[in-house]
Amino acid sequence: MGVGVVTDPSNEPTADFLDVELKDIVQEYPKPEGDGVHRVLDGINLSFGEPTINMLLGPSGCGKSTLLRMLGGVRPIGVKAPTSGEVIIGGQPCDGPHDESVMVFQRYANRPDLTIRENIAFPFRLSLWKGRVPPAEREKRVDAMLKAVGLEGKGGLRPSQLSGGQNQRVALARALVLRPRILLMDEPFGALDAQTREEMQHLLIDLWKAQRCLVVFVTHDVTEALLLGDRVIVLSTSPADVVDDFPIEEPRPRSDAWLMSTPVVAMKERVLDRLHQAKTGQKGQVRVSF
Amino acid sequence: MWNPYDELSAKERRLYGLVSVGTVLLIWSVLTFGSFVRPTKLPSIVQVFEGFTYLAWNEATETSPLFLAVKSSVLRVLVASVLVVSIGVPIGVFMGASPKINAVLSPLLDPLRSAPVVAILPILVMWMGIGELMKITFLFIGAVVFLIPMVRDAMLAVSQQYWIAARDLGATEWEAVRHAVLPMAMPRIADAIVVAVSVMWTYITVAEYVNAETGLGQIITHARRQSAMNQVFVAIGVIIGLALLTYVTMMAIKRKIYPWESE
Ligand SMILES: Nc1ncnc2c1ncn2[C@@H]1O[C@H](COP(=O)(O)OP(=O)(O)O)[C@@H](O)[C@H]1O
Ligand SMILES: [Mg+2]
Repeated sequence: MGVGVVTDPSNEPTADFLDVELKDIVQEYPKPEGDGVHRVLDGINLSFGEPTINMLLGPSGCGKSTLLRMLGGVRPIGVKAPTSGEVIIGGQPCDGPHDESVMVFQRYANRPDLTIRENIAFPFRLSLWKGRVPPAEREKRVDAMLKAVGLEGKGGLRPSQLSGGQNQRVALARALVLRPRILLMDEPFGALDAQTREEMQHLLIDLWKAQRCLVVFVTHDVTEALLLGDRVIVLSTSPADVVDDFPIEEPRPRSDAWLMSTPVVAMKERVLDRLHQAKTGQKGQVRVSF
Repeated sequence: MWNPYDELSAKERRLYGLVSVGTVLLIWSVLTFGSFVRPTKLPSIVQVFEGFTYLAWNEATETSPLFLAVKSSVLRVLVASVLVVSIGVPIGVFMGASPKINAVLSPLLDPLRSAPVVAILPILVMWMGIGELMKITFLFIGAVVFLIPMVRDAMLAVSQQYWIAARDLGATEWEAVRHAVLPMAMPRIADAIVVAVSVMWTYITVAEYVNAETGLGQIITHARRQSAMNQVFVAIGVIIGLALLTYVTMMAIKRKIYPWESE
């Protein structure tokens, strides 16, 4: 397994931004039947040049997670990755997990034997972060994160004493406590009920405003993509290809009124259409504009 | 009747327990007090109690043979337990942490689980003589062949998501095992330790069969030679009691250390 690019730890993490570029990324998995390969990503070219929130939208099973795992360097996916193509972060080719990127999942994987505080401070048990963040600084950051995610005073509780939404807050805090320059989120709110999900969406916006970084957020929910994204990237079904890629300039938080407005409804319909076409196999690089 | 999820009240459970134990005691009493069987085959409750008082205090030497026997048996189990845990747990953890290590060790260890451990005793006697080393080794082997696969399985039972989540936060592979998989496997590893130590109590009499000067197994061997069946019963009862005590204590400690397990 390759080692990611190690950036200078003396840099203030949020101070300068790392641009991420994917060049002709192809990913194949061996077929379960044993013979041949299954192409999941078919020559993806994408670049991220600003610390914005980017929504990766696509039908289930199209390769969103596979793609996301390459955006913070290359994270192990069980086979050689990528099959071909290049991941370039901060101008340097990257063939292993990049130190400045962290990932948040739908399954928050909080350790039940640790308190909330200890869970947020968990990465500091790892040699990578131990050397980078001095102990006094760690405590300060954990305190700040507890407050930022609205779990002040709950630091001493255990994950089983919190709700699913609160546990997802812990997972988010555990990632952001590292001040990553690249935050990768794989359907993080997918398992939450509608109201909790909305709360988490607002929380994410607030956290991002306070600590700007490149966010790539995978979702299969068009509304979520429109509510959160500076940019929405739509993928076709596998082999996945970028079928749509457009910016949204409306400031956040975005209101229900905005979401219901005619151009946005039209945009949503076009994206749904694109997704539907992508599913049924018709492809084409059609840009949705509004 | 046939509802496996039915919850009995504590009172009800106790009642059924009393009925079953009482029935056995009743049959036992009828057989022995009614002189249907000879005391050398099955002693009565009274005779077992006499055996207990006989073993509990020896007037001539002013010692308690039973207490001394318990002491040396407990000591042997204790020493063997420390060895079993300190050697068996790491091996099981490494096997569970690395399919390669598992592939190397499991062809050697897995067949031992079904090997007749008692048949190993003569081999150990030939190798190590008839002293303490042989007895401890026998207990060790008997328990460790259970412990290692159970510890390995405890590691494998931890959901992969914990390992992945740690890796994605920058953990090395070993750190992900050390800080994510192992802590999650600990409650089941503790269960494995409890089982392994309990197994030792079933092997103690065999371990002490050969040339023991002390121990509960020695009492049994000695009493049987003298046809003192009541003393055999006392020793068996004490072993069951000690095994139960060990189990209950260890489980209580486990639940105290890992209260989050059932969540
Ligand atoms: N490790 C793997 N081995 C083989 N096939 C895989 C593996 N991971 C994912 N796939 C397949 O690749 C496709 C895309 O998977 P994924 O990236 O998880 O999609 P998404 O996140 O969009 O649902 C799916 O068809 C899936 O079955
Ligand atoms: Mg996915």
